[in-house]
Amino acid sequence: MNEALHERVRRIRERSLVRTWEYRQREYSKGVWFRLRRVLVDAAQAWIIDELDADRLEAGGHFPLRIGRELAPPKRIFFLTEEELAATSDRRRVPVRLCSKLLQARTLALVEHEGRGGEK
Amino acid sequence: MDFRTRLLRTLRAVAPVLREPGILIAGSEVPNLLEPDARSTLVVSEDLDIAIPVERHADVKARLREVRGLAPSQEEPSVWLPQSADLIEVNFIGADMRSERAGETYVLEDSELPLLVFPNLSLLRPGKLLMIGDLAVPLPRPAGLLLEKLLTDRGGEKGDRDLLVALAVLLVCEPHDLEELEKLYLGLSAEFRYIARSGLSTLSLLEPRVQMPDPTLHRAFIAKLMARLERAERDR
Repeated sequence: MNEALHERVRRIRERSLVRTWEYRQREYSKGVWFRLRRVLVDAAQAWIIDELDADRLEAGGHFPLRIGRELAPPKRIFFLTEEELAATSDRRRVPVRLCSKLLQARTLALVEHEGRGGEK
Repeated sequence: MDFRTRLLRTLRAVAPVLREPGILIAGSEVPNLLEPDARSTLVVSEDLDIAIPVERHADVKARLREVRGLAPSQEEPSVWLPQSADLIEVNFIGADMRSERAGETYVLEDSELPLLVFPNLSLLRPGKLLMIGDLAVPLPRPAGLLLEKLLTDRGGEKGDRDLLVALAVLLVCEPHDLEELEKLYLGLSAEFRYIARSGLSTLSLLEPRVQMPDPTLHRAFIAKLMARLERAERDR
């Protein structure tokens, strides 16, 4: 009997059990990272915007995405058009990935890939 | 000696095995071989994965006697080690589409060639027979390989590189390959469909790495593919 291969099978099966457990958690708090990644997939650009701009956006009828409220501390995340982004008073571009700059931001504006309107 | 030369020499060394029906090159070397003139510029681990359908196991064992320049590792005989620096390691892995154990990860016991059988390898279907001079290299169809890579259960650098290999495969997909991908995707369990979408979302957010396809240049394409899979999911 090949012990090395059986040991690998044992480890693979253990990881598979963990993945199944993670799948069952997908609608709960542990699934938040997939949901956040899923939102970011659709974003061509990510910008940190000012809290006051976020207040103005909300007052103007822009609803922050639910995913932002699922994180601690919560974030206000908006999808904006290029024009809406240009109208913000202050903005700083961050890479679209789960980097510390993006994760530390409290207010984020995302711009969709071109031609993606209405696909979500 | 460059990596391409070593890869091609290794393929030539295992040519007797590659002539067996159903045998496929799997893993990260496939996109290397799919580059124009098999240029092999991607930075991946220096090994060649060969997927063996379990029903071909006995035939492959017979063919192994014709292989020169490689010898089985004593510790893990499914790994064949190069006996000279001009070859790379070969890993024989099992694919099971038919037996009652299909869908399981298991060891096909054999004193000469034990195989670790991976369920996701059953997604691989024979595709292009790549001709490099007189050497015929059986490659899998891109859709199955792409999905297999998205489902790969690894983290860290190896996991990221597997996803970038998936991207390399995605970039050579034709429209009909994406249709096939969608069909294969819909044939997976709900859990595996979720894992595939999760892999795609991780791929979309990866940083570029040297000598690998740059995911930041293809994020819009990945987003479209994600939306396509989600639409297929809703419509199923």
